Parts: sequence; structure tokens; C-alpha cells
Amino acid sequence: MLRAENLTKRYRQGSVTVTALEGFSYEFPPGPTAVVGPSGSGKTTLLNLLAGFDLPTEGAVELGGARLDRLGEDERAGVRLEQAGFVFQSWNLLPTLTALENVAFPLLLAGVRPAERRDRALALLDQVGLADRAHHRPNQLSGGEQQRVAIARALALEPAVLFADEPTGNLDSAAGHRVLDLLLEHAVGERRLVLVTHDLEIAARAERVLHLRDGRLVKIEEPAAV
Amino acid sequence: MELVLLVGRNLTARFTRSLFTWLGIAVATASMVLFLSFGEGLRQALVSEMGNFGPQIRVVAEGTDVFSPPQPELPPEMLEQIRAMAPELGIRKIIPSVMLVRGGFDPATSFFFHGLPEGADPRDFYPPAKAAAGRLDPHPDGAVVGAKKAELSKLTLGKPLRLSREVTVPVVGILEPASGLVDSLIFVPLKTLQQVLGTKNYGVFMILLDPDAKVEEVAQKLEAAIPGIDAQSTNEALKFAERSLRIGDLIRFGISLVALVVGGLLVANTVMMSVYERTREFGVMRAIGARRRFIFGLVLSEALFLALAGGLAGVLAGVLGSAAINAYTREAVGLALSAVTPRLALFSMAVALVLGLVAGLLPARGASRIPVTEALGRI
Repeated sequence: MLRAENLTKRYRQGSVTVTALEGFSYEFPPGPTAVVGPSGSGKTTLLNLLAGFDLPTEGAVELGGARLDRLGEDERAGVRLEQAGFVFQSWNLLPTLTALENVAFPLLLAGVRPAERRDRALALLDQVGLADRAHHRPNQLSGGEQQRVAIARALALEPAVLFADEPTGNLDSAAGHRVLDLLLEHAVGERRLVLVTHDLEIAARAERVLHLRDGRLVKIEEPAAV
Repeated sequence: MELVLLVGRNLTARFTRSLFTWLGIAVATASMVLFLSFGEGLRQALVSEMGNFGPQIRVVAEGTDVFSPPQPELPPEMLEQIRAMAPELGIRKIIPSVMLVRGGFDPATSFFFHGLPEGADPRDFYPPAKAAAGRLDPHPDGAVVGAKKAELSKLTLGKPLRLSREVTVPVVGILEPASGLVDSLIFVPLKTLQQVLGTKNYGVFMILLDPDAKVEEVAQKLEAAIPGIDAQSTNEALKFAERSLRIGDLIRFGISLVALVVGGLLVANTVMMSVYERTREFGVMRAIGARRRFIFGLVLSEALFLALAGGLAGVLAGVLGSAAINAYTREAVGLALSAVTPRLALFSMAVALVLGLVAGLLPARGASRIPVTEALGRI
């Protein structure tokens, strides 16, 4: 379950109050949902609130049965660990760890035993086609490979919701398609994928597309119409 | 991939900085170990000296401490007074003595003269004493020299030893090495030393008791009967010495604290820089689901690990430094003046760890409280 109700976020910038998101309400159904909009439309703010990185000024967010807007930092981190996976534009792998250790990191946080962590991380790397790169550090991997490691890490605890913020933004076309395929492959059954992008071609591969403009949800489209 | 591995990876990722910080703590800890090792060394030397010391009670003028050579302030009548009490108190032998210290910074030019009355020889003070050459008794007009003193000042049998412009005595005996203070002493006849000092008084009465006499009780009775004296038993002397050593320890610890504080600032600086550089990493960890205490523990562990590794190296360097100092002091005065005891090693490690803990707390707290959105640049 991923649901937002009248989600609003305002920031103070000096003496000026900026409204980054206003009155966003939507219940994300299973499957892939793309969020599109121009720069400054509130996409990143929306994802921050949906994932519990930040708290809304008003409104409610429910992720996996937990009201994120009512929880403290650590409780929200706990909900994220159990319910969500993240893929960022700039991969954000931990630079001192190998690919295998990066994938196993969420499992470490979840208290999975070392041997099982290793087996599961290896299997995930195999799924994204990087089993032979398991012991490489991020700086020894290409951008596409790093993003695939990030996907494997995001899938480590089989999350109900996968958040992807411009996951192909730093990749060439071929690598971008491969990454998108992997993300969409995961978004089956009851699983949800929230794909934030400014690229309409990528958004078209989602089952529905939410259009944001000036912090408001202005349109919901089915893919055929994009 | 345990916490230790993460800590190790983070520290080795910034190897040079970690290395210098480690060295800083090692130097700070080593300096503390060395400073405090003098106190421990003196303690050990004192206990060993007292263990070998024959007389059970040392009577000196009131206010004379254990470490200072007593001034000739005890008049001959006082000796008679003690002699009169001897049978009743179980005193077996009274050895009146004076001491003269001719000091220089170089041990070779420092002389510690000990006056012995007729009928007494170095064995009364140090029962295991043996003559390596010549005789043990300096009477009527000779000097018996400790092994280290003879070696350092190149004294051999028959060689004249000048006590003052008027008084010179020949070396009549050289003692076997005993690894103690006795190695640095020169025993001369009491009357000769009194002549040098221009006094008929005594500096100290060394008292040997019958086997069944109670030392503390005799000391108390002597003090009660004769005003103006301190009758110090061996135990009391050790207790007094311990008090003095503790004051010395505190002063030495205070001095080494400067180095320790610098070491602590090094750790704090390293960890803070590391936290600053890894803000994004911590943001990623938090985003994935790491709780604050995980980040806090990770950063604090890095500081503690640096402190532990630096502390161990510092203790090791302290042990080596102490051995080097002892090699010198054994050569110079025949005593090991520095000792790294287990309690000193443990204390130093504890101080290093507390240092790491204090230095790491603030950066760890800061790292655990960076908002996810700020850390990831998602504002």
C-alpha cells in the first residue's frame, strides 16, 4: 500500500515561503507508475515525502500500512528498510564496499546472517547480470553496471515499493533501456514501482503517468495516451 | 560484512590521514607511558631496596622525608637514650650514621658517602653484600665502594678518595654488584665522615630488632619517648614514598595530558573530516534504512579503532622506550628507574580509548543527525 492524501510541502527561504507540493492525493496501484513534470514541478519533493525522507507540512502518507507523517526519523528508516527500495540517478553506491557488499548492505541492516547475506547478494547480482563483477568496487564499474548494482541492492529485501528517481538519467541509451527493463521486471504482482523521470519516452513504459506542474498533480494518463 | 569491516574500509580508504592520526595517538600514548613509567620504576626499585634493607626502623630528625639524605641533627645524647631503652624494646643493634652527598648531574661525579660506626659493615644494611675485592669493613680509615660506583668513577683498591680538602681515604674494598642502590654507595668510617662534616651529631640511627619485636610498636614507643624524632618503619617509609610517588605521578600525568589532548584533537579532526566527506554515504545508508544509532556506532567505532590501534602502538613504543631508558640508568646508577607494569599499560590503553570516545562522540552525533534529504542533496 502506498497512498498520499492532500500532501503539501512548504519551505521557508528567507522571508519567502515556497510551496513545493500542494494537495497531492493519490493511491498508487500495483505495477509501475511514472511521475513526470518539468524541473521544479515537485517530483523530487513528492518522492522525498512518499519515501519518508522528509515530513509533509500537511497531509498524510501511508507506506505498507504505516503513517510516515506520524513517525520519527528512525521509525521511518525502519519502514523504508522493510517496505521500500531506492534507485537514484547518481547510483549512490557505498564507495568503499564491493558490489557484493553493497547489495548485501540492506541485508546487514535487516540482521540477516553473513552466509545468507552473501548467497542472496550473489543471486541478486546474477539476476542483474553482474555475478562476475561481485568483488569490484564501484569505481571499477561502468555507470550502467553501477546502476544495476544499485537495483540489485534495492531489491535485496524484496520491497513492496521500488522508488526510482531518474534512474537512467546518467546512462547511455542501451544501458538506460537495460536498467529500465530490470525495474519493470520487478514491478509485477502486488509490487509497485514509482518512477520519477522527465523523459516521456521512459514514462511511456509505465502503466500510468502522473503529471506534476508547479507542485500540483495536473493529469493522470494511461500509457496509450502518452 | 560486519561493522569492523566497514570501519576498516573507511579508515583504509583515507590511509595517509588515518596513518598520521594513528601515529599521533601512538606518540601521545607513548609519552604518557614513558612519563608514568618513572613512577612505576621508582616504586619497584623502592620495594626491592626495602626488601633487601637490613634495619627495620630508621630514626631521623622530625620532618626528614624518605628521599632526602638526613642532616646531622641527632645529638650523641639521643643515641644514649635509645641505647638505654634497647633491652626493654627488643632492639638488637643500633647503627648511628651520617650521610654526605656530593652531587653532580653526571653519575660519575656524584658520590653518596655512608658513615659506618666501628663494628658495623655494609652487611648490616644490605645483608647479601659481599666483597668482590679487598674487605667489607672500611675501618679504621678506608672506603668500601659499591660495584657501579667503582666502575663509573674508575675506583680500584688503594686508590685515594678525597672527601674534603683535609680528608682523603684509600679504597679498601669493592662490593659485588647487587642491582640496587648499594651499588652506588661508598661506605666510610663514621668518625671520618663526622670530621668532614664538622659535627659530632648523627644523621640517622638505623635500628635492627630482635625477631619477636613488633616494628610499629617499637617505632611508636621511640617517638613517644624522644621528642623531635621520626621513627620510620620500612612499611611507613614505603607508604610515605608511595604518597610522594603519587604526587609525582599526577604531575607527570598532567604534563603528558598535553600530548594526549593533542592526540584527541587529531582523532576528532580526522573523524570530523571523514564525516564531512561522507555526508552523502551516510545519507544513502539512512535512505536505505539505517537507523541513527547504526551511523553513530559506525563513526564512533572508527574513532575508537584509531584510539585502540594508536594506544597499542603507544604502549609498545613506551615499553621499548622504557627498556632504552633502563639500559642507560642501569649503566649509570645500577638501577632500572623506568617500568611499564601491566597496570600502567592497562591505564594507558584506557586513557587512549577514553580519548577516542570523547573525540568521536561529537562527529558521531553529527553524522547520525544529518537529514536524509540534505545528505543526498535532495532539497
